[in-house]
Amino acid sequence: MNEHKSNLLRTIYLLLFCVGSFAKASAQSVSISGNVFSNRHTPLEGAIVTIHPSSITTVTNKEGSYSLQIPRDSKKLAVSYSGYILYEIELGLDKSSNIISDIFLKQEIKELKEVVVRDNHAAHHKKAESLNLEIVNSSFIQRNLGGSLMQSLQRLPGVKTISIGSGSSKPLIRGLSFNQVIVVENGIKHEGQQWGADHGLEIDQYAVNRVAIIKGPSSFIYGSDAISGAINIKPLPFPTKHVLGGSVDLTGKSNNEQYGGSINIFGRNDNWFFDTRITTMDYGDYRVPTNSVNVYNYIVPLYKNHLRNTAGRELDLHASTGYIRQRFKSVLYLSNIYSKTGFFANAHGLEPRNVDTELHDKSSRDIQMPHQEVNHTKISNTTSFQLGEHKVETQLGFQKNFRREWSHYVNHGYMPPIYPEDMYVPQDLERQYDKEVFSVSIKDEFSLGNHQFTVGINTELQQNKIGGWSFLIPAFTQINSGFFLYDKIQLNEKWLLHAAFRLDYGRIEMKQYSDWFESETTNNSQTKFEYLKRSEELTRTFNSFTWSTGINYNLEKISLKANIGTSFRMPIAKELASNGVNYHYFRFEKGNSNLSAEKSYQLDLGIEWQDTKWSVQLSPFLNYFPNYIYLNPTAKHDVYYGAGNQVFEYEQSKVMRYGGELQTRYQFLKNLGAEVLVDYLYSEQLSGNKKGYTLPFSPPASVLFGLTYSPEIKRLRDTYFSLDYRFTAQQNQIVPPERKTASNNVFNLAMGTMVKAGQQELSISLQVQNLFNTKYLNHTSFYRLIELPEASRNIILSIKIPFLILKQK
Amino acid sequence: MNKMKFTKFVRASFALASIFTACDSGDDTKIDTEYPVIDISAASAFPIQCSEVSPGQKITFKARFTDNTALGSYSLDIHHNFDHHNHSTEVNDCSVEAIKKPIKPLLYINSVAIPEGLKSYDATQEISIPEDIDPGDYHFLIRLTDKEGWQTIKGLSIKIK
Repeated sequence: MNEHKSNLLRTIYLLLFCVGSFAKASAQSVSISGNVFSNRHTPLEGAIVTIHPSSITTVTNKEGSYSLQIPRDSKKLAVSYSGYILYEIELGLDKSSNIISDIFLKQEIKELKEVVVRDNHAAHHKKAESLNLEIVNSSFIQRNLGGSLMQSLQRLPGVKTISIGSGSSKPLIRGLSFNQVIVVENGIKHEGQQWGADHGLEIDQYAVNRVAIIKGPSSFIYGSDAISGAINIKPLPFPTKHVLGGSVDLTGKSNNEQYGGSINIFGRNDNWFFDTRITTMDYGDYRVPTNSVNVYNYIVPLYKNHLRNTAGRELDLHASTGYIRQRFKSVLYLSNIYSKTGFFANAHGLEPRNVDTELHDKSSRDIQMPHQEVNHTKISNTTSFQLGEHKVETQLGFQKNFRREWSHYVNHGYMPPIYPEDMYVPQDLERQYDKEVFSVSIKDEFSLGNHQFTVGINTELQQNKIGGWSFLIPAFTQINSGFFLYDKIQLNEKWLLHAAFRLDYGRIEMKQYSDWFESETTNNSQTKFEYLKRSEELTRTFNSFTWSTGINYNLEKISLKANIGTSFRMPIAKELASNGVNYHYFRFEKGNSNLSAEKSYQLDLGIEWQDTKWSVQLSPFLNYFPNYIYLNPTAKHDVYYGAGNQVFEYEQSKVMRYGGELQTRYQFLKNLGAEVLVDYLYSEQLSGNKKGYTLPFSPPASVLFGLTYSPEIKRLRDTYFSLDYRFTAQQNQIVPPERKTASNNVFNLAMGTMVKAGQQELSISLQVQNLFNTKYLNHTSFYRLIELPEASRNIILSIKIPFLILKQK
Repeated sequence: MNKMKFTKFVRASFALASIFTACDSGDDTKIDTEYPVIDISAASAFPIQCSEVSPGQKITFKARFTDNTALGSYSLDIHHNFDHHNHSTEVNDCSVEAIKKPIKPLLYINSVAIPEGLKSYDATQEISIPEDIDPGDYHFLIRLTDKEGWQTIKGLSIKIK
C-alpha cells in the first residue's frame, strides 16, 4: 500500500516541478483559483488539478484550494483524486483573474474500484492525529488474509494477536490486550470479548472496509477499556446513486482445509440505499509441524499433525439500510455473527486429559467436546445531521453476545461424581454467558475560529447472565456514562494542537451465586453440608477524569507528533469477582473486590519523513500504570472447588512500559520496493508480588523485512509479488506460568493481481504463510503454555469478483 | 514554539536511544524463572508410577521437593480414572482395567504449605484409603509451587485393589 503512496508522492513532486516550468514559459497567461471539496463538504487536500490542453497541473492545499497561472486559451479543467470520480469542466476565460466555483467530487462506486489503494486518506488522517495511528483498508486485509481480522492485521508493527486456534484471536496492541484495547464497529463499542483469553473477536473480516488502529491511550474518546489502544472499524462507504451491484469473495486455505466466502449486494436510488452481506466459512483441525505436544509435562501425541478438535464454522449475516441527504444521513445496521469452534481437546478441564482418540481422529472436520458456540447480534443506528455550524451525530445500539462452552461434565470439589438427572442445566453445558448491551451516544462537531471542537456524551447499560454447571464469574449489571470535550486547534499551516478531557462514571453490580451442590464444611469441629456462596452481592462505583494533549508539526516531508495523556479502565466482573476454575489453564482464579480503576499515563512521539523514494517513521512511547490489574500466580492451591489447582489472584501493581515501532520504506526501482518494520516493547512490574517481572503475553522484539516487486503486465493491474521475512527475537522476560520462547525466522510469500473481466476488475491474491514449514513457538499464542508450535505452511487463495447489476445514468 | 519543538526532538531521540540500549537491561536474572522439581526417584518415594494400594490401607506419600530459591506449597489429588480420561506424565504406561461407571470413587484433595524459605523439602503425608470405595484405576496428582508461583505437575497412575 505504501509503495503506492510514495509513487504518488513522486508523481506529485514531478508534476509540481512541471507546473513551475510551464508557468514561466507561457506569456499570455491568466490566473484561476478555486476550491475542491468531497461530496461530504470537506476540503480535499492533494487533489490534482490539470488544465488542458497545456497539461499544467497543481495540487490542492489543506483547505482544498488551488491557484494557477494558465494560458488564456485553455479549454478544460480536470480534477482527480483517488477514490473519487474524475471531474471536468469547460473553461471560458475572459478575465485576467478567474475564480472557479466550488468543485464537489463524487466518490467512486464503493467496492468496484475500491481495490485501488492509491489512497491519501490514511496519510492525511495520520497527519491530523497526535496519537499513533495506522489505517488499513480491505485490500490490505485481502493481501494479508489470516484466520481472523486481527490475524490479518498482524503485519503492522506494534500489533499482535493472542490467537486461539485458527479462527479466533484477540488484538494485542503494544503488549496489551483483553479489556485494555477497545474495538469499535460502526461507531459502537463491541462488547463480548472481555470474559477471557479464549474469547475471540466476533467480527466478520470480509465486511471490513477500513480499520483505524490507534496505538495509544484513547480513553478520552472511547471511555473505559481504551486504555492502551483502539481498533476502529469504520462504517462502509455509501454506494453511489443509481447503482445496484455487489461482489463475491472466495477463500480457500490449505492448512485447515478451509473454504468460505462472502457475497455482498448493495444498491441505491437517489437517497435510499441498502447493503447486505452473507459470509460463511468451514474449516477443519489445523496442522502444526509436530507429532506431539507437551501439555504441562503430559506428552500428547497428535494424529497426522492435526491439532485435535480445532475445527470450526462461521456464518455471518449483515444488512444495512439508510437514507442519505446532503445534510441528513441515517443508517441502520444489523448483523449476526455465529461461530462454533472446537478447543484443543487434550488441554481443557481440571488437568491435561486423555481423550478418545478414535472418536476425535476419525474426522478432522467434526467438532467434538470441548467446543464453544458464540452468537453476536448487533443492531445500531447512526444518524448525522447538520444544524447550522454543528455536525451532530447520534448513535443507538443494541448488542447481544450469547456464548456457550460445551464440555463433558467433570466433577470437582464436592460436585457429585454422576451428573444429577434432574439438574436444570444440560449435562454438557459447562458455561454460558449471555450479555445484552444498550448504548446511546450523541456527538457534536463544530468550529469556532481555528478551533475544531468535538463534544459528546455516551451511556451504556449492560446485563450479564450466566449459566452452565460450572462457575467462574457471577452475573452482573453495569452502567457506564461519559462526557468528553475535544479541541483541535489549527494554529497555522504547520502546527496543530489537541486538547481533550473526559469525565466518566461507572457502576457495576454483581449478583450473588451459590453452588448447586452441597459441600462439606467444618465449623467448631461440627461437620455439616451446605450450599456454599461463590460470590457475594457487590456494588462498586468508579469515577474518572482523563485528559490528553498533543501536538502536530507538519512540514512538506517531515511530520512530527507528540501526545501525552491519561487513560483509565474500570475493573471488570472477572477481575472483581471470579471464583472458580479456568479450564483452559488448569488454574483457580480469584477476583479481588477491592480493585481500583486502572489508570495509565503515556507519552507518545512520532516522527515521519516522507521523501519521493523513501520514508521513515518512528513512534516511541513511554507508559506508566500506578495500579495495573494483574492476575498473580500464588504459591497456594485450592483444595475445594479448585480441585487442588494453583490459585491465581487479581492484584494491582505499578507497571512501567516503553517501546516503539520503526517503519522504513525504500523504493529501489520503479517496480521494486523494500520495507523494514521493527517493533520493540519492554514492560516491568515496579511493585507488588511480582516486582521485577514483566507482564504476561509480552511480545518479543521483531523485525520484518519485506520486498515487493510490482511489475507492469499487460491487461493486469496492481500486480505484486512480495516476500516477508520476520525475525522474532527470543523472549526471556517471563512471568509464571510462562516459559522462555526462542527466537524464530518465518517467511511469508504473497502475490496478487487484478484482471479485467468485462466491466469489472477481478482481484486474485495468493499467500503462502510459513513458507518453509518452520516449527516455532509464538510467545503470545494462547496455546504457547502447552508448547504448541504455530501452524504449518498455509496456502491461502482468495478471489474477489465485483459485479454491477444495474447502473442508471 | 521552536524551543518546544527542540525539546520534543531531544525527548524523541532519547526515547529512541533508550529503545535500543534497554534491550538487555531487564535481563539480569534477579528474578526467578526456574520451576521447582518433584523428585520421586528415591527408593523410599511413594507412590510411584503403577504403585498399588488396597482399600482400608494407610499409605504414606513421600517425595523430595527442591527449588532454586524457595518452595511454596504442594497439593495432592487422588481421583478415579475409570473413564480413562487421565494419563500420566511418566514415560511408561500401566495396565488399565476396562472403562466403568463410578459409584463411590475415592476423591482425596489436600494441600500443604511448605515452611517458608526452604530450597529442599522431604514431603511426608499420611493418607487413609477408606474401606468402602470403588477399587480400580486412579490418578495420583502432585502439584508443587515455589514462592513465586512457578508450578510443576506430576501425574502418576496407581491402582486400588
